[in-house]
This record gives sequence, structure tokens and C-alpha cells, in this order.
Amino acid sequence: MTETLSTPAAGELNAEGLLDAYRTMRTIRVFEERVHDEFATGEIPGFVHLYAGEEASATGVCSHLDARDSIASTHRGHGHCIAKGVDPVEMMAEIYGKRTGSCHGKGGSMHIADLSKGMLGANGIVGGGPPLICGTALAAKQQNNGGVGVAFFGDGASNQGTTLESLNLASVWNLPAIFVAENNGYAEATASTWSVAADNIADRAAGFGMPGVIVDGFDFFAVHEAAGEAISRAREGGGPTLIEVKFTRYFGHFEGDQQAYRADEVANARDKLDCLKRFRARVTESGQLESSALDTVDSEVAALIESAVTEAKAAPKPTGVDLETDVYVSY
Amino acid sequence: MARTISYREALNEALRQEMHRDSSVIVMGEDNAGGAGAPGADDAWGGVLGVTKGLYHEFPGRVLDTPISESAFVGAAIGAATRGMRPVAELMFIDFMGVCFDQIFNQAAKFRYMFGGKAVTPVVIRTMYGAGLRAAAQHSQSLYPIFTTVPGLKVVVPSSPYEAKGLLAQAIRDDDPVIFCEHKAMYDAVGEVPEESYTIPFGEANIVREGEDVTIVAFGRMVSVAAQAADELAASGVQADVLDPRTTSPLDTESILESVENTGRLVVVDEATPRCNLATDVAALVAKEAFGALRAPIEMVTAPHTPVPFSDALEDLYIPDAQRVVNATKSVVQWQR
Amino acid sequence: MLANADAKATVGVLANPASGRDIRRLVAQASVFPTAEKANMVQRICGALGTLGIARVLMSTDLGGISAAVLRATRNRRASQSPWPDLEFCELDRFTETAEDTVTQVRRMIDAGARVIICLGGDGTARAVASACGDVPLLPLSTGTNNAFPQLREATVAGLAAGLVAAGVIDPATATQQTSVLEVRAGDRVELALVDVCVSTATHIGSRALWDPAALTELYCTFAEPDGIGLSSVPGQLCPSPRTEPTGVVLRLCAPEVARHVVHAPIAPGLVLPVGVRSWRPLRPGEELPVSADHGVVAVDGEREIELRRGEPATVRLRADGPRCVDVTRVLGIAAREGWLRDSQQHQ
Repeated sequence: MTETLSTPAAGELNAEGLLDAYRTMRTIRVFEERVHDEFATGEIPGFVHLYAGEEASATGVCSHLDARDSIASTHRGHGHCIAKGVDPVEMMAEIYGKRTGSCHGKGGSMHIADLSKGMLGANGIVGGGPPLICGTALAAKQQNNGGVGVAFFGDGASNQGTTLESLNLASVWNLPAIFVAENNGYAEATASTWSVAADNIADRAAGFGMPGVIVDGFDFFAVHEAAGEAISRAREGGGPTLIEVKFTRYFGHFEGDQQAYRADEVANARDKLDCLKRFRARVTESGQLESSALDTVDSEVAALIESAVTEAKAAPKPTGVDLETDVYVSY
Repeated sequence: MARTISYREALNEALRQEMHRDSSVIVMGEDNAGGAGAPGADDAWGGVLGVTKGLYHEFPGRVLDTPISESAFVGAAIGAATRGMRPVAELMFIDFMGVCFDQIFNQAAKFRYMFGGKAVTPVVIRTMYGAGLRAAAQHSQSLYPIFTTVPGLKVVVPSSPYEAKGLLAQAIRDDDPVIFCEHKAMYDAVGEVPEESYTIPFGEANIVREGEDVTIVAFGRMVSVAAQAADELAASGVQADVLDPRTTSPLDTESILESVENTGRLVVVDEATPRCNLATDVAALVAKEAFGALRAPIEMVTAPHTPVPFSDALEDLYIPDAQRVVNATKSVVQWQR
Repeated sequence: MLANADAKATVGVLANPASGRDIRRLVAQASVFPTAEKANMVQRICGALGTLGIARVLMSTDLGGISAAVLRATRNRRASQSPWPDLEFCELDRFTETAEDTVTQVRRMIDAGARVIICLGGDGTARAVASACGDVPLLPLSTGTNNAFPQLREATVAGLAAGLVAAGVIDPATATQQTSVLEVRAGDRVELALVDVCVSTATHIGSRALWDPAALTELYCTFAEPDGIGLSSVPGQLCPSPRTEPTGVVLRLCAPEVARHVVHAPIAPGLVLPVGVRSWRPLRPGEELPVSADHGVVAVDGEREIELRRGEPATVRLRADGPRCVDVTRVLGIAAREGWLRDSQQHQ
């Protein structure tokens, strides 16, 4: 029996879905590389934490999500924002502190959000997101709409009480919540092999009565498949799951970090493990996508990010009239 | 004649009426029903305060017991509020804010501003504050000034059963995060409360008693202490204007200034400890905005700068009482340059 | 204890920190085997080996905490406890955190004189060790519920059997069972399977495990036991083929609705699913078969490993030269007959 390529196996993406996933990952990568370059010029204010290298996680998970679903993110949030559909042009303007930004320049890199898209915000507080996701998952359950909540957090946040309380609460309430532990090896400059007393973050799931699995975070297909299983399980009332995604971030903890604590793992990861390279090789070898289609995406993404930067630089900053607005709905 | 019920019953009635009115209202907290997973009765407690008693059976699936995980469930209430729900979370004692404050002041309070005005977070956190039940230092504090300093939060301190019902209904309907501070010594206090649903707007002080000689601004349970003091003062010929601001954020500065413009004298009564509390806040406001009207220095009646003591002998000294208010007021009225 | 134990007798112990965390924890109810328990197993093995008078154990190192826990245990041992062999840790210059670490360490253990390799892990771990251990006897111990090849067996008992082999008191040819392997070739890619090779219509390796029988088209097994777990349980219930026989079995799979045989098989822990079988026949040692599918993935021992490329045909061959595995039951049976674990009474 021969399957045709136009009918993917259960849970797999068709050509359009694959191209979307590639576009998302590529957009994140080019966005982050560009922010890295622009930050070095001194024009971007504040703290910026880049997601490059981790694209397969946000993309693999968010490609299963729709308007019913919500995510909470971390200080390293640009990738999650893009994957959940926040406009990269507005994001870039926000990072530059401009009035046209996603948050009118009031949030910045660490607080980009779009609640209309179910994106509850990058979060400057390590471990801030998981309790919120218990709430969005509870709302989906109360509203009986099949929605799920996904909390992205890092290896550092895996040690926060808020995270552990949330894992427990999600199981106790049997919430449609997915906890995605993005273990990039370092909480700031501290190795997760030192700071996480369990051998794997996923091992902690057993103590909270939920499945815990580890996936290769450089492999879009591995993340996509595991997330798909966890999300469909949650939608059907099966309860929460903890997924530990292991990979390496390509840049420092923040822009300006000299990374003296690291060995040469980034060069090896970029060369041998990179999620975009591997994705491209595999979908072209399998005949699912043509190289030329991916090249087209590359040039479209390059143009998008170029115009995002140009627009961001040209956009006005907020003014004094904006200082005291948006604190309350009414006061 | 109007019906008389307790502060506890008034709060319960507000919750019930709002849950009937709006299916997005849900209630959660430790033992809010009580008995979850236990072999005995469901809704065994209705919260340690008894405020949520009966709601569990009346609103199936909408009254949620929680583990003792304040960060997780207060955060969950906030998260649910961003997704179309109107959760009312019960933080059993205000003192427990220490274990969940991040979710309140870094998440709920800041969403709207950080996200450029695009977030609406209609969450209510009900919590019990105040001294008087010999509950000692970690279960007796009056910490509403801390919440009051946080932009993005609204803070309510209801002073009677009537106020409790109307302000809680308003808190639930309000689109901003509200910290609703119930005084633990008032749950059995009774008063006239209409049966029908009603709301009391935030930021509008209640003039509890009118007088021309001195303005007394009091918060929460201190309103009844101030009213009692005013009665005693009236017997000696001093007529006090007693104001209950109802909410510390927003604060009805206009009514306070208007009253002081009339009386020229101010006493503020606040159960909180004396540094950076509502007494200093109101005093600063008046000193700045109504300096010309003042005929005497402002007096503040507060708790001392100490933790709340356990022994009744000490706790009774700790809590401001009517006599201290009378004494402070007399010193203001009798003050001469 | 053993009068004739060789003073240089050495056992290698390889414990894989990564085993037992894959997606089967989510899609089925596969067990979660804690690292602490893997470290405990190593200690129980050391206790058994020490009692037998085995001189030296070569222990793998890892970043997952097993070797660290064992090292901690050696430091905390009390004088009253029974002796352990000298424990040497096999250092790696650099961890790749892939199967390469396992292969490198096993080779070093053998170079350093290990006469038996005990490995703790699943089918994947055993596969990596088997590729490196050559003729040195292998004793694979399962750390979880998901394994067809390694046995779920008490480590102390396994340690005794391994010790008897390493000490030279029993002939390795008698103590071990020759196993078969399946060799998969697709272009320049080669993989070995100890239990089964399965072809799936899934396009990508993804999260590696296989749990959806609807996607399976071909299955090759070195053996098929009626009480097995995993894909080999399908022929195990249809056409059993014992481990002790060099022949294997090959099956064509299809949807249950159109199948001649439908087997309700435990293809993963917690998952007993109907699997449709169109046909099956024995697989002879040395026989090489072409993979029919021109796309999809090939899984070895239940884990997707090779993504097929168009125009690059793949083959599967049954080889009789798999690892020699210690037969614990047979070794300890002989020990009972010979009295190796008994003291003779000196005072009558």
C-alpha cells in the first residue's frame, strides 16, 4: 500500500502547515538575529533576552493552538509571541520603545503581549506564567470550549514555587494545561545540571501525577508530535502534561552577556543541531517541500524584518499624554 | 422596617446575587466549600470565614476548593480573569499576601499598563484583615496600605454590612483588579441591608455623620470606632464630620478636602501601622491641598510601629479605640497657637 | 569467596541516564524509572560482585546523576558493610549526551579488561552497548516497563551471575546465549535492532516512539515471545518464535478492517491495541529483504531512527552474530548444582 504525500499520517502537517511552521521559525530567527545586531548599536534600550536556537519549541507547540488557547511566556518571549501570532512589526516597534509598538512602548521586550491572540505576555518574573495558565485553562474548562493553556518556562523557573504549585493545582483541578519547560542549560549563568536537583525537569511530573516527557528541542518534529499528543489529551479532558524541551540558546542570557560561563556548545549546536537547518533538510529529502518554496519564505521574512526595523526606527515615541493612561479601565 | 443581617451574610448575599446575575463569576479559595475529597459533607465550611457557605450546592462547578497554594490559585484567578471570567478568590488572611504578592502586584496590577491598555483583568481578591481576635502577628495585620501604593489595583475597606454588600457587588462588576479587605472582627456585626441587589461606587466617601468642628476620616472597622467617638464628642459639644472613604484606591480626595475646608481640623483614624499608611496619606493630601483652611495640626490615630501582639492585654492597647480618637480630636479642637 | 576467582576479574557497568523519559509516558502509561533507583541497582550489583570477590568494577559516568550518586554511596559506605570491588569511573573527555557516550564508554571498559558488561537501560541502551561489546558477554537489565530485550530482573541476582562469568568459574560459551540482530540499510545509513524493525508511514522521526498501529506496514523480529511487550508481541501472540532460535519472523501489517488476522497486542505499556496482520512467515538467518515502502520511517526496537528517502531503497537482514547475553537462570542453576554459592562444612 502506498500513501501519497498529500495525505500526511495522523497528527502530521501538510505542505501548507509545514511551510507555515518554517515561516514562523525563520521569522523568529531573523527577528532575533536582527535585534542582536541592532542592540549592539545602542539604539535599543533596556534588557533584551533572545530566543534564537529555541525556535522549534515555540513553533512546534503553538502550531497546534488556535483562538481558544492561551500561552504565557518568559523574559525570553519574542519567539512565543511570534509563534502565537503577535505582529512582528509591532513587536519590533515595542522593543524600540515606540508608540506604535504592541504595548505602545509601555511594556518593552519583557512584556510584549496580545491578549486578543491569547498571548498573556512575555513575563519579567521568573515563574510568573504558570499560575496564570492555570487560570486560563480553568477559564477554558468553565467555558467548555475545548481550549488549553500553555505555560512556557525555563529551567530556572522550574525551581520556583509558583511553578511547582501550578503543576499541583493543574492536576488537582484536572486542567487542560500544558507546561513546557524550556531547558536551555542555564538560568542566567547558572547551569541547570547544578540548580535542578532532579535529574530532569520532566521527572518532577511524577510527583504531581502527570506525564512528563523529554523531547529534543532542536527537532521541530519531535516537539510538534509530543505537544500534539499533550494538547489533544488536554482538550479531551485528560489533564495536564509536563514537556521538557532540551536545547541551547544561541545568545547570552541578555544582550551584553559575555558568556564566560559557557563552553563552545553554541558553535556545535548551530552547526550540527540547528532546528532550521534540520527542518529544511528533512522536508526537502522527504519530498514534502521544494527548496525553492523555502527560499521564497526566506526572502519574504528578510523583507518583513527589514521593514519592521525601518518602521520601528521611524516611529514616534510615546509622549507625556501617554504617561498616565492605561493604568485602570476606570478610576 | 428594613431587614437586619450580619456583615458575613451581606457578603454571602452579594456573592450569591452576582453569581446569579453573571455566569462568568466563579469563586475559589481554601475550603471555600470545604470537605473537598474528605469523607464527610461537601460545603462543610463555606470558607474559614463562612462567607461562601451554601454557594457550592447552589452553583455547581463554580465554587472551587484549592490546595493551600496561594500563588497558584491567586494567579489562576488572575489568568482566568484575562479570559472572560470574573473570579473571586479568597486569600484567607491578608497576611498571606507574602506568599503570593508577585501575582497581585507584578501580574494583575500591571497587565493593563504594560500591555498598552489592552488588558482587562476583572479579578476580586477577598481577604480578611485586622486585629482583635487574639490571632497574633501573622494573622492580624492591616496591610491595605501596601496594596494602596500599587498603581493598577483598587482597594476596598467596607465598614458595615450595608457597605460590604454594595461594595462587593461593585468589586465583582468592576473591570479592574480589586483587593477587597474584610475586617475579621466585623463578620458578626449586624446592620440594615436591603434584600435587593445594589452597588456602591468606588471613590465616593460616605459621610457617616455631619459636623462643623472637626473632620474625622476613618477606614474600615475604624469607621465605627470614629462614629462612637463622635457620639461622645457630641455630648461635650464638639460636632465631628465623620468620613468613610470606602476605598483607599481610588481615594475620594474631593470629599475629604471639602470637609476640611469647612471644619479646619483633621483627625485620621487608621488601624494600620503608622509609617506610610492611609493616615499619613490623607494628612499629606490635606497639608498640601488645604493648608490654608487648617486651624490646627493634623492628628493621626494609628496602631504603633510594632507587629500585632498576641496577649489580650497588649492587643487591646495596640488597636485604636474610641477613647484615643476622642482624646486626639479634643486636642485638635482645643489647640491654640 | 570463590577460591578460584581471578584476582583481575573485572565487570563493566553501563547505566544510561537518558532512558525512560520518552513520549510513551504521555501516550501510554510507560514507567518513569528514577535515577536514584538506577544508582541503587548499581550498588546492589557491586554488593553481589564484592561478595563473590570480584576485584574491579568499571562504572560509566554521566551528567544525569547516576555515577554521582554511586560515587556518593562509595564515600558513605561503612566498615561494617560487605566489601565492594574497587570502583573505577570511566571518564569521558566530553559528553555528547547521545548514544555515542555509551559506545565510547563500553569500548573503554573492554579495553580496560571488562569480561562482562552489565547495562542498565532500555532497548535503545542495549542496542548501543551491543554495537560495541563484540564477544564480551552482555547482561542487559531493564530500567522500566517498556523493554523487550533487556530483562526486568533483580540487580543483585544479575550481579551474581555476571560475577560468576567474570570470575572465570563458568565457561562463557555455557553461560551465554547467542542472539540475533536485524541490520537495516538505507543508502549509507545502517542501524541494528535487537528485537524488531518496523516501517511506519510517519514522515519524520519526531518523538521517536511508535504507538499508532494504523501507521505500521512492515514488521521484522529477531524473536517473538507470547509474554513480550512492544511490537514483537504481535507475532508473539500469532506465531511465536523463541529467543533461543536463530530464526526470526516477518509480518506485513494492514488496517484491522481488511486484515486476515487481528492481534490484540501490548504494543506499549498500557496500550493493548488491535493490529492487523496481512501475512507472516519465518525469517531465516542471513536472509535479506527489501523494505517495500518507498517513504516513511524505519523504527528499530520501537524507536523511529531512519527517514526513508525517495529512490534510496532500504533492506533488512537477519544476522546471527548478535551479542552474547548472559543467561542468568542457567548460570545460577549451574551454580546451585556445583555448590559455588555454598560453604562446605569444615567441622563435623
